[in-house]
Amino acid sequence: MNSQTLYLRRRITNAIALGLSMFATLIGLAFLAWILWETLRQGISAINLNLFTKITAYGEDGGLLNAMVGSLVINFIGIAIATPIGVLAGTWLAEYANRTRLGESIRFLNDILLSAPSIVLGMFVYTIVVLPTKTLTDGSTTYSGLAGGIALALIALPVIVRTTDEMLRLVPSTLREAALSLGVPQWKLTMQVLMRSARSGIITGILLALARISGETAPLLFTAFGNLYTTVNPMDKMASLPQVIYEYANQAGDGIHALAWAGAFIITMFVLMLSLLARLILSRNKVSHD
Amino acid sequence: MTESAAAGIHPQPTAASTPLAPTKLQVRDLHFYYNGFHALKGINMDIPEKKVTAIIGPSGCGKSTLLRIFNRIYAIYPKLEAKGEIILDDENILDTRYSMNKLRSKVGMVFQKPVPFPMTIFENVAYGIRHHERLSRADMDIRVEQALRSAALWDEVKDKLKQNALGLSGGQQQRLCIARGIALKPEVLLLDEPTSALDPIATGRIEQLVEELKSEYTIVIVTHNMQQAARCSDLTAFMYLGELIEFDRTEQIFTKPGKKQTEDYITGRFG
Repeated sequence: MNSQTLYLRRRITNAIALGLSMFATLIGLAFLAWILWETLRQGISAINLNLFTKITAYGEDGGLLNAMVGSLVINFIGIAIATPIGVLAGTWLAEYANRTRLGESIRFLNDILLSAPSIVLGMFVYTIVVLPTKTLTDGSTTYSGLAGGIALALIALPVIVRTTDEMLRLVPSTLREAALSLGVPQWKLTMQVLMRSARSGIITGILLALARISGETAPLLFTAFGNLYTTVNPMDKMASLPQVIYEYANQAGDGIHALAWAGAFIITMFVLMLSLLARLILSRNKVSHD
Repeated sequence: MTESAAAGIHPQPTAASTPLAPTKLQVRDLHFYYNGFHALKGINMDIPEKKVTAIIGPSGCGKSTLLRIFNRIYAIYPKLEAKGEIILDDENILDTRYSMNKLRSKVGMVFQKPVPFPMTIFENVAYGIRHHERLSRADMDIRVEQALRSAALWDEVKDKLKQNALGLSGGQQQRLCIARGIALKPEVLLLDEPTSALDPIATGRIEQLVEELKSEYTIVIVTHNMQQAARCSDLTAFMYLGELIEFDRTEQIFTKPGKKQTEDYITGRFG
């Protein structure tokens, strides 16, 4: 084969590969645009001030205030529990247990937890939190926002462990050597140098974990349950956006359905914003390496 | 003296024919193993005080390995083992009882790539000092300024001490790393190919700096660049396949090398 035809063949192969990958990208983007458009179109009639000021107790004439407040409280509890444990565990994996058999096993178990079905985690928390509190309080406290937060924490935890671990391992080992060669002990190196270097990545991981849990429905059905009224008391039953969407989608009535669509739109936008924020933080700190 | 007695153990060249200065680091029958691989094979050498000693040799000859034993930085990785003795001020630094804190405040190191910490310029220099000493704010300011002046960086950064060190150029970052090292007032300064990531102008400044620093510090520099060794060192050690082939005054090594292998390497016949 002469070089002319070889070159032509490579150009054709290149064009085909490029075309296929562009097509795949477009499919992905098209679905995102479609989801946003569809939720907006269907929910538009419910997107008004009532959505943010009225509660679900009014049904079709109400809004989603209690669900939004509930979601904020439950997500906050979830992230507040998962962040310290996840960051510490990830730090241990990267800095103290890296390349040890124990570390590798725990990393593997963490990956399993990462892909565990969320309904299983919901059932688990139902068994170890909801049922015991029911017994302890003679049935006056059963489902609670706290139990919901714990269930979400279990989902966020492996995400945070993994990103912390990976971000710390991305820090060049020369930075470790440089600090250690000043006589600085390992813990100071980790807390004062490596954490600073990996900070933006770790924060991004936490934001992505928050994005991940804010759409979770299944684990909340068994734990936070739902509430027609607004509450910020974590020991109360608590409404949340995904749970309200789930219930409204199963009820009859155009107004109810519009509210469910509006809730879906809010969650999608929230997740999109979190992801964009995460990207922004990461790209702004790109310069910090090398 | 232990020097002459220990030198007899191994039939290898140990130091310059006539000593230039009192010995600062005595390496005695040093062996090193990477996960079982015998990387250094019985090194003996006397590194003189307040002189520049260059270590040259082809890639993989063990020159960086040797340097990394002088402050035991190798010990942070598992499965690495050093045997033998390195005497610094009458004490064997390879003794496990030798305090790492003390060793690293006496022996500073600068690496191949500039690695500033993700902090301000001021904090980069102050960071190590703070770990070893408690200084008042005014004293700290003085120490940081001294270190930056000795590293020939002060004039370029004095107005932006509070800025992030990552904003400096590569050459400035490397001089900052040198400032960070000498801020601890070490006795020995190890430079591991300090200019290999820098352009010729930045390299020139670092070499000039090495020349100035040797009045106060014992300097050991590993380099790939033979001209660099010839330009700025007093003694040169040539290593090959984990052995110290020849160690002598730099002019001797580059004009009348004693060994065939040294001659082949410096004339570019292999390496």
